[in-house]
Amino acid sequence: MTVAEETSPASPRTPSPLLTFWRTFKRNRMALVGLGMLALIVLLAVFAPQVAPYDVTRAVDVTIGDIYQPPSGTHWLGTDDAGKDVLSNFFFGARVSLIVGFFAAFISVVIGGVMGIVAGFYGGRVENILMRFTDIMLVIPDLPLMVVIVALTKPNLINIIFVIGLLGWTTTARIVRSQTLAVKSRKFVLRARAIGAGNGHIILHHILPLVMPLLVVNAILVISLAILNESALSFIGLGDPTALSWGQMLNYAFGRGAMSAGAGWALVVPGLGIVWVVLSLTLLGHGLEQVLNPRLDTHHLMPGRPAVQGEAGAPAVGPEGAPVMLDVQNVSIHYFSDGKSPARAIENVSFRLRAGELMGLVGESGCGKTTLMLALLRLLPAAGQIVNGRVLFGGRDLTALGEAELADVRWKGVSIIFQGAMNALNPVRTVGDQIAEAILCHDPSYRSRRAGRDPRLDRRVAELLDLVGIAKDRKECFPHQYSGGMRQRAMIAMALACNPQVVIADEPTTALDVMIQAQVLELLDNLRRRLGLSIIFVTHDLGVVAEMCDSVLVMYGGVTAEYADVDTIYNSPRHPYTRELLKAFPDLSHPEKRLASIPGYPPRLDSLPPGCRFAPRCPQAFERCRAEQPVLHELNGGHFITCHLIETDRKRRSKDRQTLSF
Amino acid sequence: MKRTQYLLKRLGWSVFTIAFVLVLNFFLFRVLPGDPARAGVHDPRLKQEAVEAIRVRFGLDKPVINCFESLNPVRFGSCDVNPLETQFFIYVRNLFKGDLGISYHTNRPVAEILAERLWNTILLIGLGQILSIFLGVALGIFAAWKARTAIDYGALLTSLLAWSLPTFWLGIILLFWGSAHGLPIAGKATPGTSSWPLMQQWGDVLRHMLMPTLTYTIVYLGEYTLIMRSSLLDVLAEDYILTAKAKGLNTFQILKDHALKNAMLPLVTVIAINLGFTVAGVLQIEAVFSWPGLGGAIYESVLRRDYPILQGAFLLIAVAVILANLIADLTYSYLDPRVQSE
Repeated sequence: MTVAEETSPASPRTPSPLLTFWRTFKRNRMALVGLGMLALIVLLAVFAPQVAPYDVTRAVDVTIGDIYQPPSGTHWLGTDDAGKDVLSNFFFGARVSLIVGFFAAFISVVIGGVMGIVAGFYGGRVENILMRFTDIMLVIPDLPLMVVIVALTKPNLINIIFVIGLLGWTTTARIVRSQTLAVKSRKFVLRARAIGAGNGHIILHHILPLVMPLLVVNAILVISLAILNESALSFIGLGDPTALSWGQMLNYAFGRGAMSAGAGWALVVPGLGIVWVVLSLTLLGHGLEQVLNPRLDTHHLMPGRPAVQGEAGAPAVGPEGAPVMLDVQNVSIHYFSDGKSPARAIENVSFRLRAGELMGLVGESGCGKTTLMLALLRLLPAAGQIVNGRVLFGGRDLTALGEAELADVRWKGVSIIFQGAMNALNPVRTVGDQIAEAILCHDPSYRSRRAGRDPRLDRRVAELLDLVGIAKDRKECFPHQYSGGMRQRAMIAMALACNPQVVIADEPTTALDVMIQAQVLELLDNLRRRLGLSIIFVTHDLGVVAEMCDSVLVMYGGVTAEYADVDTIYNSPRHPYTRELLKAFPDLSHPEKRLASIPGYPPRLDSLPPGCRFAPRCPQAFERCRAEQPVLHELNGGHFITCHLIETDRKRRSKDRQTLSF
Repeated sequence: MKRTQYLLKRLGWSVFTIAFVLVLNFFLFRVLPGDPARAGVHDPRLKQEAVEAIRVRFGLDKPVINCFESLNPVRFGSCDVNPLETQFFIYVRNLFKGDLGISYHTNRPVAEILAERLWNTILLIGLGQILSIFLGVALGIFAAWKARTAIDYGALLTSLLAWSLPTFWLGIILLFWGSAHGLPIAGKATPGTSSWPLMQQWGDVLRHMLMPTLTYTIVYLGEYTLIMRSSLLDVLAEDYILTAKAKGLNTFQILKDHALKNAMLPLVTVIAINLGFTVAGVLQIEAVFSWPGLGGAIYESVLRRDYPILQGAFLLIAVAVILANLIADLTYSYLDPRVQSE
């Protein structure tokens, strides 16, 4: 066994991919119905001689009276233009239609598959020539070309199969090529190549298995197109006169007076056969695609679940005296998905943000930081629900507001600087336009009565861009014309557009290089001082937190690990997670100290440990941690911590005190 | 600039594709068996003079292309043929003169017949496209917006069903149904109406167009719904939609100002690529409703084995589709600011 085979997706450790596939497939009703419909018609076609009431392949004497007989006991679906039983013709016609469909599609898929894999795998000149040719064939209309070729050659079944097959491969080639390109650079393919596997071997054993699922879905589509094309050719009069396909039945009925004879059955029945087969293939293909490429079909406009308000009672830290801007109390958030118990993404998180305060929200990826921030403005995806807690802002509970009132608070009261500003800005609208939109949305005084642009609005946009150091003539540019740092700064300008009181900066510096990071951070700190903003700063970077923040909320696995002012967090952290995090960052006062990373990853939400969520990685975990969830404890002076160690510490201390008093 | 370069590249590519179609068209009708002129030539009952006359009439006495028939690479180019006298050159020259040959059946110039018919096809395609795109896009938007609700599943199943209908069969059913309800069964106008007032004539044409257009709309409605739905679903899951929502825009504003343009962009390309399929549909619809368009012409010439018309119609359709693709490409480059800088 080669190294490459060990790491190929079909490694024996995971359950067989076919089994996993079947499990998902079973749940897809669309695919199941399609498969059932297809199986039925294939069975009827195979056993046509047994199920058909009449043998239509044998010549029998017919009289005028037999033609276009309406449905009756002897002919359930009536008779056709030749006096033959329509039902029997239907069963035998299924054979012809299906044979043409399957064989023509086979030819198309083989040609398209080979072209796609060769083009994708070899690249360069070969790819260029093959794909150019595919592009040409793609724009030439199929059916007229088929008509011309079949009309020029003899219309027999073999010719028709080849013509349809030889013209139907373009989409397959394109899809297979792009899949091959995507697969080609995967690790195990590169590894197979490194240990000297030949091209043929790589294609056959590594690329083909990964291209196959897509090829199957495409083949199903190609079969249905081939069947439709065959029926259209037959209907136009280019079918094989000796093979009575459904299209041919329709051609004869339509051309030989079924319409004027009022013989609707001869026109309806064969067409229903085509619809049945094509629909079954379409359903199967569509369902398979959903199984193989599960796109969740969720989006930001789907109505979310209503928030559940809950218990109040919150801690307080931060600069004393300043008024509280945002008071988050006991917020819990669950994610719901079909057939699974809800994932407890956030549990009982509270914090209090005062005017002018900069709070750092720290934790590894997947600890629920972004979820919590989105929940504050009720921007969670449809599956997420606030199941408990309150978010008090300006005397109102944001979890209880209606959509219209909420829209008013969004951006004007609380705005968000999203992470990775590339996708957060609309690529087809100019930056200035997107900033102006926010202003227009919240300040009716800018809406000028004239249709043209309000010069004040222009000035305001320029002012905002100036604030973040972008030249005002760049406002007509599109996001892709900005550099990464500029986009992030433009996002900041946009977040400030409506003079919000609270700004949530969700990892604004991730994916930026160090110099730009420093610029953006300095800008944020500056703006806070100048505009008196309250900022929640979501980050991995403890160094930045130490430098800028007033208070720090450390989250782990959706719960508050530790929450205190910045000095306490850095000088006397109590939670093992905070300590481990601090160890993982360089300390300039002890440059000789080794950096330590925390082994393992944050827990998956669908498999949370029964006890403390950090217990599996905690160096100080003991038995209780693995069995019982710790609660939030308040130490002196607004220092909050969720850890069993605190209780043991306290007990020890009180014991100490008792011993002392004696 | 980059944009001009892009435009020139697309233009050059279209010219190349058209050239390919011209060559393909030429050889299809010469390499494949079945050409009546050739069949006539091989008919043993014909006299030698008649054979010669046919060969001369259809230009078959001239070499196809240089020494191509001999297929002898050594002799290639060294033989004594004037390139201006080859069948291929004459074919190309005639094309540039707008000469597509003479119809076997009516003895009229093919170009003249097709020109009359072209407008009828454009009328049908135009009306059908507008209706199916408009309705399909609207239904697709609605389905995507209401994703995972009964409305969405209903729209999805309806579209899949519409996609599965053979165009000609739906035409037959609607024709059958329409004729039972007093609608005309064939053609573009009732015979003998040319003396009617203009308004009445148009009304008559509209009555004739009703069922063909309905067929067209239903068949392509499903496809446009599916494309719009999946395209909009992708866009609505994008980060910038979340930004728009966080900015306080309402659902309507988000759909109108942030989602639709982005979701429509792929549709432009799909409409262009689909024109090939669209032509296939129109061919079938015109055959069913005896609509005097290009599709109808193809249908009739297949029955009569009128090859020059078949050849001309194929060429015309192919070139039209290629040009429509070019237009779609150019439109796309105007709509999407990102294309200009790539």
